[in-house]
Amino acid sequence: MDSLGDATVQALTLLLRGDGELWEIIGISFRVSLSAMSIAIPVALLVAFLLAHLEFRGRRLLISLFNTLLSLPAVVIGLTVYLLLSRQGPLGDWRLLFTQSAMVLAQVMLAFPILVAMGHAAFQAADQRAWETARTLGISSPQAFIMVVGEVRFGLLAAMLAAFGRIIAEVGASMMVGGNILHHTRNIPTAIALETSMGNFAQGIALGIVLLIIAFILNLSLQYFQGRGKLSV
Amino acid sequence: MSGGIDIRYSEVDKFFNRRHLLDGLSLSLEGGAATLLSGENGAGKTTLLRILAGLEKPAHCLVDFTPGEAGSKPRPWSNCRKQLQRRVMYLHQQPYLFDGNVIRNLALALPRTLPKAQRDKKIRQALEWAQLEALQDAHAKTLSGGEKQRVSLARAWLRQSRILLLDEPVANMDRESQARTVSLLRRLKNARTALMIASHNHAVFYQLIDRCLILERGKLIESQAPLLPDNVTPLAKGNAPQSESAGNAAR
Repeated sequence: MDSLGDATVQALTLLLRGDGELWEIIGISFRVSLSAMSIAIPVALLVAFLLAHLEFRGRRLLISLFNTLLSLPAVVIGLTVYLLLSRQGPLGDWRLLFTQSAMVLAQVMLAFPILVAMGHAAFQAADQRAWETARTLGISSPQAFIMVVGEVRFGLLAAMLAAFGRIIAEVGASMMVGGNILHHTRNIPTAIALETSMGNFAQGIALGIVLLIIAFILNLSLQYFQGRGKLSV
Repeated sequence: MSGGIDIRYSEVDKFFNRRHLLDGLSLSLEGGAATLLSGENGAGKTTLLRILAGLEKPAHCLVDFTPGEAGSKPRPWSNCRKQLQRRVMYLHQQPYLFDGNVIRNLALALPRTLPKAQRDKKIRQALEWAQLEALQDAHAKTLSGGEKQRVSLARAWLRQSRILLLDEPVANMDRESQARTVSLLRRLKNARTALMIASHNHAVFYQLIDRCLILERGKLIESQAPLLPDNVTPLAKGNAPQSESAGNAAR
């Protein structure tokens, strides 16, 4: 227990002292995950909306597929992206393996089903009358879509926070396609795994504290937005 | 009353659970005329209104926007769905108001390109028209059913919809709210809007309507006189808003 206590004190010292390497790792984590979110969100929300509002053959199958992908382990996604980007893979010419772009791609694939499944649930919970009223008010389809998004914004924010929480903390895919290269692709979870295996508990715990703080802020935001959503119904 | 037919629908077909819900029916709507759509529960009144408004896909339907004019030709519903949604306004049984106050909800009925000064002026006029001045800053979700209906009618007024379809517009309303709603509908009708009202509550609309259509076994049958139960007193002619006590006295 003493070593845990010492490591925690050292971790807090590292964080508060502004350790350059530590903050660089945190920066890479945020850059990669926020890039992945900005790519995944617009497409995923449009897919979620279409699944909720359009009747077409195979719709139920697609919904089941996205719900199934929710439980896909990150390492499987990592393996898939690895095989796609490896030299012999179909996207090998892009030479993206062991870059932040590869990590972004893997995290997009991780976030996408969460955004679609939770976004679909939010759009389905939305009143069908919202879309119809917007259309009969002469509002164009893109504007009506934005208005419906506005009506279910709390549910969609919850989906975004859940997806961000998942990708910023995942280790399997980032490790496989990023390679955990210092100053390039080392992010918070891969650094924790490495430092712990090397016995550098202080750095591992410091990064763990950062992850915990992020998780706490996300959950707090989630509670806040869900509360706001209920109030506005 | 009439000023020529504004829109004509023909060969309207719709199946529901293998049942022929709407069986090749035809109907026309004309500006300044009010039609009551009657029929038993499940007869297909709401489905018919939604098809007419371009919101629900029929098995088959032809639409003519300029019936009687030279060269006018009915077009398949699927080819003019967007046009129907723009030209025909449908009000749900429980009108939907967007998150925000009454002013925001009224503003949605105006073109976005309208200058702010004109927009504000029109909204003020709409608030006055529907007697909503006192509620202009109230959040939409806090309004009563009758108040929501008035906001949605004010939106129809702002949009200057030529054709307005209403699904049970006075259901679950007290007599005063019913009278206010009918009063606004009368003003829309006087402004040459074509009204079609699906309702079981014939007595409320007795003085407003020009014809009554009964939807029965997928067909529309025109009734010569509106169906008014013997034991129900219609609202007073003119339909000025009445107090609850006045409504009780009339009963």
